[in-house]
Amino acid sequence: MRAVLRRFGQALVTLGGASVLIFGMLAVTPGDPARRVLEARGVREPTPPMVAAVRAELRLDDPLVERFARWAGGALTGDLGISWRTGRPVVEEFATRLPATLRLTAAALLIAVVLALLLGAAAAAAPGRWPDLTSRGVALGMLVVPGFVLGVLALDVLVVRAGLGRVIADGTWATVFLPAVTLALASAAYWSRVLRTSLLEAQSASHLRVSAARGSSRWRRLRVHELPNAVPPFLTVIGLGTAGLIGGAPVVESVFTWPGIGRHTVEAINARDMPVVVGFTLVAVLAYVVTSLLVDLVCATIDPRLRTR
Amino acid sequence: MTALGILTPATVREVAPQAVPRAVWRALLRRPAARIGLALALLLALVTLLGPLFTADPDLPDYADQLAPPGPVHWLGTDQAGRDLLARSIAAARTSVGAALLVMTLCAVVGVVVGTVSGAVGGRLDTVLTRFTDILLGLPTVVLTLAVIGVLGPGFWNLVLAMSATTWAPLARLARSVARGSAQRPDVIAARMAGVRPLRLALGHVLPATASQVLVAATLGLAEIVLLLGSLSFLGLGAQPPTAEWGNMLSTGRETFAYAPWQLVGPGLGLILSITAATLVSDALRDVTDPGRRT
Repeated sequence: MRAVLRRFGQALVTLGGASVLIFGMLAVTPGDPARRVLEARGVREPTPPMVAAVRAELRLDDPLVERFARWAGGALTGDLGISWRTGRPVVEEFATRLPATLRLTAAALLIAVVLALLLGAAAAAAPGRWPDLTSRGVALGMLVVPGFVLGVLALDVLVVRAGLGRVIADGTWATVFLPAVTLALASAAYWSRVLRTSLLEAQSASHLRVSAARGSSRWRRLRVHELPNAVPPFLTVIGLGTAGLIGGAPVVESVFTWPGIGRHTVEAINARDMPVVVGFTLVAVLAYVVTSLLVDLVCATIDPRLRTR
Repeated sequence: MTALGILTPATVREVAPQAVPRAVWRALLRRPAARIGLALALLLALVTLLGPLFTADPDLPDYADQLAPPGPVHWLGTDQAGRDLLARSIAAARTSVGAALLVMTLCAVVGVVVGTVSGAVGGRLDTVLTRFTDILLGLPTVVLTLAVIGVLGPGFWNLVLAMSATTWAPLARLARSVARGSAQRPDVIAARMAGVRPLRLALGHVLPATASQVLVAATLGLAEIVLLLGSLSFLGLGAQPPTAEWGNMLSTGRETFAYAPWQLVGPGLGLILSITAATLVSDALRDVTDPGRRT
């Protein structure tokens, strides 16, 4: 229980530190936000009084600590400020795009886990023999071909030339397959390697031989001894790997013109639209911290040794 | 100044551990995967360094010869400005691999400095630095990199800076633990007894040991750095055209892919081969240096 509380505290510290960092980025970005907002509202050449009015409206001249407090308070209540490019609330812009990103990451996560289980289990079932070598070769291939290269090839060869699927992904389940596979491959490769290692390690434990000598069934050994030892490391990398999926989303979404928040963020970076960039960072960081917290708690339930840490 | 005559800096240096253990190299070269990876890396290095001597000017446009298919003159064809793609791919290798090595080095330097100071000085400074490192470790690197680029704006140097600023944390943690461990090393104890001042102790005795270990650890991340640099440049956040870089070549080549697919061969192969080399070597290196955690 104490360890659980400490882990919660740790997650809160990370989130707190991250929010300071992220607000710092927003504050040090060159350029006057008031001017950007005025431009977004269609004012070409703002007069000084107009700029001053917007500065007062956004309360940009308050002390930094107050601005941080208000910004953090807003973030907690679902207010991420207004976009410097469109003048609309960032949350609104995200709300219309988040479902597409969630669909993409969920599909990629599913594909990656299934692939990793297949590859990892095949490799660990016959270490050193052909299933292992094949699986490791495939995993290496998936690891070294960059997702965006594969995405470009897949899109142009399969979709444009062979006419499979639609060129413009509209963010629905019907068009999710190619982007999801592209996003999933590298993570799947990495996870399968971890799974293979932890399965092999679990198999080589001496208490397994003792258990076998006492006449336990293969299934019992797998269930009681091997899986509980092999699953936590696997779960941990999957948990941390969601960061890879979140981080990979901007790239893959841009390649496939997927209408999610990742592509929106890349566009925002090019337009130096900081509230959107910062909003994405905050959402991604939150997702990451919460996932790794959950994974750690689940692992602690599976493996008692992790509880005392 | 020393009460004990034997504890001179010269003897202390002799007791200090070897910076690059030869055993690691030998163990590395015994592995076929590592040999392939090293050979590939060597080949890439040769092509990158010597290639420009034999190829055309990578930035010279030839509007009479746009989007030429691969042939005897232009081995990989030309791009939409008629520039030789082989020359550009090789020039891009300098940008891409150079940037990756730069990021790796910057991360290692920051990691070593932060970790060594943290571990050797201790006290409140250590607490502050460790907290900060832990917070960075708990955050997704790619996302942070994107945010920093948002602040700095797209561009080659900004991308290098952004990646370095967000990727050093694991190395700092490693450096700190090595630095703390080395306080117990015979040569460090001897140096301290010989009256060597704390700063020199940290720089002259603790730093070399941390630096070599951190450098090994830093090379393990090289493949990922090449990949991320390429991806972000592909998105237009890194080196801007006309500078040749694998990521931005892929993104411009993509526009004409439908009728000039050879655009993608050079930069695509460059990325894949360099990532393969880095992955093979780092996998083997991890097995050799850390037998407890085989991959």
